[in-house]
Amino acid sequence: MSDLLKTPLFDAHVAAGGKIVPFAGYELPVQYSNRALKEYTAVREGAAGIFDITHMGQVRVEGVDALKFLQYVTTNDVSKLVDGQVQYSALLNEQGTFIDDITTYKINDEAYYLCINAANRHKDVAHLLKEAANFDVTVTDESDETTLLALQGAKAQAALQTIVGFDLEAIGYYKFARGQISSAGGIVSRTGYTGEDGFEIYIPNSIAVDVWNALVEQGAVPIGLAARDMLRTEMGYALYGHEISDAVTPVEAKLMWITKMDKGDFIGKQAVETRKAEGAQKRLIALKLTGRGIPREHYKVFVDGVESGEVTSGMHSPLAGGGVAVAYVKPEHVTEGSLTVEIRGKQIEAERTKTPFVRSNVRR
Amino acid sequence: MSVPADLRFTKEHEWVRIEGDTATFGISDHAQEALGDIVFVELPEVGRSIDAGEAYGVVESVKAVSDVYAPVAGEVIEINEALESEADLVNSDAYGAGWIIKVKISDNNAETELMNADEYTTFLEE
Repeated sequence: MSDLLKTPLFDAHVAAGGKIVPFAGYELPVQYSNRALKEYTAVREGAAGIFDITHMGQVRVEGVDALKFLQYVTTNDVSKLVDGQVQYSALLNEQGTFIDDITTYKINDEAYYLCINAANRHKDVAHLLKEAANFDVTVTDESDETTLLALQGAKAQAALQTIVGFDLEAIGYYKFARGQISSAGGIVSRTGYTGEDGFEIYIPNSIAVDVWNALVEQGAVPIGLAARDMLRTEMGYALYGHEISDAVTPVEAKLMWITKMDKGDFIGKQAVETRKAEGAQKRLIALKLTGRGIPREHYKVFVDGVESGEVTSGMHSPLAGGGVAVAYVKPEHVTEGSLTVEIRGKQIEAERTKTPFVRSNVRR
Repeated sequence: MSVPADLRFTKEHEWVRIEGDTATFGISDHAQEALGDIVFVELPEVGRSIDAGEAYGVVESVKAVSDVYAPVAGEVIEINEALESEADLVNSDAYGAGWIIKVKISDNNAETELMNADEYTTFLEE
């Protein structure tokens, strides 16, 4: 465990009863007091949850070529962003498969901020630095200096407003503002990974503990990795290493909506075009078990009794009232054939459905 | 943590209550605490014969899938159907409403090593 990193909030997690596990190179709480369901409920049913997601990386991109550079290395159309807006996007390699999925924050025409996955951080930064050599931009990895918190749930705004010096009501969905947070400056975006209204908060490490304690005092419930995964799976949000990886392109992963083929050249475009023309080898579907059981990652999915693919994320959804999952199946089975999931050698019946599996309460 | 005096325990943290030729199985309070929130229990069919030490069902928490093993051999005579809709009874009342199955003990002598409450308490402390 010695080479694992700790976030500035490590002691706060332990004090709150957090069960610490290794995750993406960090020691992070999987749940507090062994009660992931209580944490999940706090976020879904009217309270607010606070998440330490400091393990995620932050990269600053600045320079006169910033827009041109990001248009080339990311899949979404960065020219559509206005100052203070956030965009879900991805980094592809030349094979058109995912290096990572990211969010792009536009500060102004010559300054952007990328939020990247912890497990992909070094790979992403190396890739960005290599590509940046051909542009007039600087790429700076600010991950080690930045604490990232998520505050999610119906009471998130009221709790956060007590410690920020600007009006949160003015921040729309996938928008952000910069300003005073507690005793320092930071960024607040109305974004998240839960399907509830809420914020992600970028602050310097020096005030991490103060901000955490202040929000907990406002009633925010600490949320571990287990409940975080339940909340994101219920929304059908993709997670790197599960739905997306360097083995799939946006065509398979149903992420063509963030892959803008008409914006000009970008890394992976050619390969995506080819894959689109040839057709996907597998496609993501959402399913709900009609029989009893929990469809978990890697469980096999059968169509008309023949193996077709496997579950990438699955769970028992308290709100949907049963087992739900996202799975890859052969393209011809996206809409046709009778579905089963193999659980401990038995075929459990399932039906196709849509994500999110439960109602999203994000503020559109 | 409570360990009722009238139960026997296995090293896998199952409990058994033996009354005449009937045995009731469950998992210990320690086991439910270690597993965390239990969201699903897979029960065997009534009539199935189970050997001592055999996996007879599955308990799933939010993150983990765990087999449960029979402390003694027998034929399943009753299953706790309440667990099909309220799996969390195993958390809230591990030694009571969270029981899992009842068996008619078979005269099969292949009994796993059982501990009494004191021995189990010591085992937990080791």
